Amino acid sequence: MLQDILVGKNALFADGVQTVLRGHENRYRRVVLLKGNLVQNSRSEGRGISARVNKNGTYGFASIAEYTKEAADKVIKASTENALFLGKHSGRNIALPTSLGTGTIPLNAQIVDVEQKIIIDFCKELDAHIEKTYPELTSRTVVYTEDSQDRIIYTSDAYNGHLVTPRCFIYVWMNAQSKDGVPVELFKAFGGFGSFFDQFKKPEDLYPEVDQLYQKVMDKREGVYAQAGYKTVVLGGMMGGMLAHEAVGHTVEADLVKGGSVAGPNLNKQVASELVTMIDFAHTFDGKMAPLPVYLDDEGTKAEDAVLIKDGILVGYMNDRESAAEYGMKPLGNARGWSFSDEPLIRMRNTCIMPGKNTVEEMIASVEDGYYLIDSGNGQADLTGEFMFGVTCGYEIKHGKLGKALLDTTVTGVAFEMLKTVDMVSDTVEWSSSGFCGKKQSMAVGMGGPHMRCKIMIGGR
Amino acid sequence: MSDVRSIADKFDEILKNTQIEKYTYTLSMSEKQELNVEDGSFKLMRTVFSQNASLSVYVGAKMGGVSGNDLTQEGLEKLAKDGKIAAESAQEDPCHDFGPNQGKDVFCQGTKEPDLDKFLERIQELLMAIAKEYPKVKVMAAIASFDRWNWLSRNTNGTEFEGIGGQYGVSLEICAGDGEKTTGLDYTGFSTKDLDTPFIELASVRSHLEGVQNSIYPESIQGKFEGTVILTPECAANFVYMTLYNYIGSSVIIDGTSLWLNKVGEKVADEKLTITLDPFDERIIMGERGTSFGVRSEKVTLIDQGVLKMHMLDLYAAKKTGRPVMNNTGSDLVINAGDQSIEEIIASVDKGLLMGGFSGGEPGTNGEFSGVAKNSFLIENGKIKCAVTETMVNGNLGEAFANIAAISKEQICNSGTVVPYIAVKGIVISGK
Repeated sequence: MLQDILVGKNALFADGVQTVLRGHENRYRRVVLLKGNLVQNSRSEGRGISARVNKNGTYGFASIAEYTKEAADKVIKASTENALFLGKHSGRNIALPTSLGTGTIPLNAQIVDVEQKIIIDFCKELDAHIEKTYPELTSRTVVYTEDSQDRIIYTSDAYNGHLVTPRCFIYVWMNAQSKDGVPVELFKAFGGFGSFFDQFKKPEDLYPEVDQLYQKVMDKREGVYAQAGYKTVVLGGMMGGMLAHEAVGHTVEADLVKGGSVAGPNLNKQVASELVTMIDFAHTFDGKMAPLPVYLDDEGTKAEDAVLIKDGILVGYMNDRESAAEYGMKPLGNARGWSFSDEPLIRMRNTCIMPGKNTVEEMIASVEDGYYLIDSGNGQADLTGEFMFGVTCGYEIKHGKLGKALLDTTVTGVAFEMLKTVDMVSDTVEWSSSGFCGKKQSMAVGMGGPHMRCKIMIGGR
Repeated sequence: MSDVRSIADKFDEILKNTQIEKYTYTLSMSEKQELNVEDGSFKLMRTVFSQNASLSVYVGAKMGGVSGNDLTQEGLEKLAKDGKIAAESAQEDPCHDFGPNQGKDVFCQGTKEPDLDKFLERIQELLMAIAKEYPKVKVMAAIASFDRWNWLSRNTNGTEFEGIGGQYGVSLEICAGDGEKTTGLDYTGFSTKDLDTPFIELASVRSHLEGVQNSIYPESIQGKFEGTVILTPECAANFVYMTLYNYIGSSVIIDGTSLWLNKVGEKVADEKLTITLDPFDERIIMGERGTSFGVRSEKVTLIDQGVLKMHMLDLYAAKKTGRPVMNNTGSDLVINAGDQSIEEIIASVDKGLLMGGFSGGEPGTNGEFSGVAKNSFLIENGKIKCAVTETMVNGNLGEAFANIAAISKEQICNSGTVVPYIAVKGIVISGK
């Protein structure tokens, strides 16, 4: 982990500007077993120092791939010069955001390294189990992936701190063939926040869920295409999380609001059924640590929850310090950069639609003719709130009962229209934290949601 | 930037002292000067100095890879030690290897010294031209950068490649609006080695600006029909890459799940389709010169008049499967032009879409795709009727290759690809 060599460097910060100095390390570990072949076996570390300077709304940023005191001096100087230079050409003149307090956020966790051999042996044992137990599979892939952020932050007028965000996952892909020889596949991610031994004790612990995955692949071998059209569906919790992140979350990032997103004219208006409340959690959910806790962002803002939709009303945006001042909101710690060379952008943290009162069973039983959409492979949305999620796992619902599995399909809709059709919400939430969100830079994010009954456009033959 | 060659010499010494007999590595150093425009004005100036070392170590038939950006003596010693441990941790697999001795070469590409004043002028000129000619278009963000690099790759077979270069790059995030009515986002961009041409005339910048300005009032399609979808060059490039990796990429050939596993030499696509990877095409800005497994990059024909010529196998996959290796890492896509203009192709479509983007789930190995048509227009009776919203397209990648109705004369060079418009029959298009 990073040692603090930046203490005292704030003496070099220029007057009349806001400066953030950040020491930052990203670490990656990756093992890939493709049908038993070790096709990737890699370890990577990248560290450096950056500084960002805000001079009346014009920003200078500089980073160097060295973690030394000298590098800190250089980036402070270069970022200050960049801000001053650009200020002469930009025409921006925005008052610096006021300070919301200063202090130090304590270190939240430790990053514990583990030998590569332990990771490889764990994956090989899991892979051998899958090969032996499920001979009907045509192929399988076991992937271990670990990434972590380690950040030390010093600011001119906000909070300082040393924060880490380690996470690790094992993905299992299973491939099979239908009777007609058509390939089908499914995957599942296991893991979450923490280092290897926080998440993985022994391979056998994963076997029950691996077996569930296998059963779903076998169902998918008999799968059918969805019927294209506007359908009643029960979205599973993972789909609910995707909806929270992609379809709504991005439209309420203040930089996109400023760019003309659909959230701009809808602030304080009904955008969803009154059953829908959505929050971007900072670090704690339901009294426990959120999947990827954020205690301090990269502008030195102490992180708090951002309530975005309350009882169907759009009530807030996610902001950095500048946009919060512009919209008259409080910055809540959403300005984040992924690596040392990344400037902070407005990003989500743990974005979640809150649970309701229904059980999943009664929701499925309530659908006469529709679909139960469980898992998504990817998703995208844009300024209008038009979204798309790939559906990798789902089932027909006929007369209140699950029918045949679905082959891969896609759903789409316009978020603020689709959310008004939500009329049942389950009493439990499922979280996913293995993904990266892309927005100029990558960013690790958590997303969560309950099951929701709603109407949605589904693609199919 | 520091002297990459002297660091390489030092690294060789360290690797020798660590008793690593077989290895390959790449050292790289780069510098980025970047300007970020938000809401029409310069907001951020970003300077990034980066460096990296990536090392693959082979201990007997075991291989491990490590990378890091600490290029000090201590950092490189740690990297060598970690690489050796990673290799020793692996299982034996003699298919992990790199290419034979390719000799030594230095590849100089692009512009070494930027003209930043002229670059700034070109960016301002672009923003002014957009404001004047496309008044309803909003530049959400523009990122303009000059990147300069120096990398050096060596292996114990004796190959040494060095790359020195620099290029300008611009990416635009645009939408259009009228009152509270806003389009979705559209993205475009390009790289260039010189500043001779106004940026608005490069790549497909103008067609994106026109497309987004004409998309403010989209209409929904009712019901579903089977029609022809004309893929714009950028959208076509995405579809082609999806298809190639789904059917002939290393992973699906190694695990045997590819539907084109035994189709080399057979017709897999319409005869109008010829696909090459050509790093030496003069329209490609920074063609690849060396592969990830240490051999000189070559022009490769993947599909010739509809016939599959080879799989896209790296050295590992080639050795694993006993099939020919592709001496190209998979970049520099060139698709041959057809014989009709885009206007003629549009005029030939009874009902379908001109599709500028595809937002969809990642197709599985069966090639089934399903997604939303973005930045797209409805075509009826040979004419573009309106922009569309909430419109889905469904089909199969392999079938789409076989059902190509037309390929345009016009090719768009977007720095790294040279691709025409491609019209595909038999796509299911559905609305509410």
